[in-house]
Amino acid sequence: MLIMWRRAGESLLVGDGIEIEVLEAKAHRVKLGIVAPASVAIVRKEARITREENLAAALSADRGMIETLLRRLPGAVPAADTTVTSSKN
Amino acid sequence: MPRIPTKFFGDRECDADSIYTFPAGLPGFEDQHSFCFLTTPASEPLLFMQSIATPNLCFVMLPILVVDPDYRVALSEEELATLELPSGGTPAIGRDILCAALVCSEAGTRPTVNLMAPIVVNLKTKAGIQVIHGESGYSHRHPLRLEEELVAC
Repeated sequence: MLIMWRRAGESLLVGDGIEIEVLEAKAHRVKLGIVAPASVAIVRKEARITREENLAAALSADRGMIETLLRRLPGAVPAADTTVTSSKN
Repeated sequence: MPRIPTKFFGDRECDADSIYTFPAGLPGFEDQHSFCFLTTPASEPLLFMQSIATPNLCFVMLPILVVDPDYRVALSEEELATLELPSGGTPAIGRDILCAALVCSEAGTRPTVNLMAPIVVNLKTKAGIQVIHGESGYSHRHPLRLEEELVAC
């Protein structure tokens, strides 16, 4: 990993078309300004992670997974009867 | 009462009051704006978030306090506004808001829950959001504590 120190008002360049400027630096967070071509996607890392986790969660949600959870989650009702009896929540 | 097709529970009754609206959808599912929450006595404490538009889309979730009784969610002003909650407020989980974590269980791996980005809905107005708190210190792959399975001999 390349590491460099920057002060508020200073920038760095990535390749030919991307500039990242430190606009403001506080004790626990920094405000960045980013100039990049429209073709470059810029997302917060945690948003990308959440997207990937959501897709994986949707894909992994199946009856086998539910049965495993109900069998092994502490305090879960054993899945002896999986028929739905209640109406809406 | 209107009935909707669901992924796991056949057709379920679902009136307008049971439908929660996510103005921004969820990351990865930006076009999904309407969900209902399903529970059954046989599947407690699991909670199911069923898409109204796509019968085959249903997230398996756990109420966040079931996973971590000490969980705290700090909502920003913007998140409070999306949730139609009073500015500056600290809504109570269970009374004002429902807060739940998505369960992910990929084949061959231990099930995890995403505590970094819980689903939060306003129980009164039915507005919903997935809040993404990368700075919270909570993991997006928090391992679920499971009891060992008894192996039949």
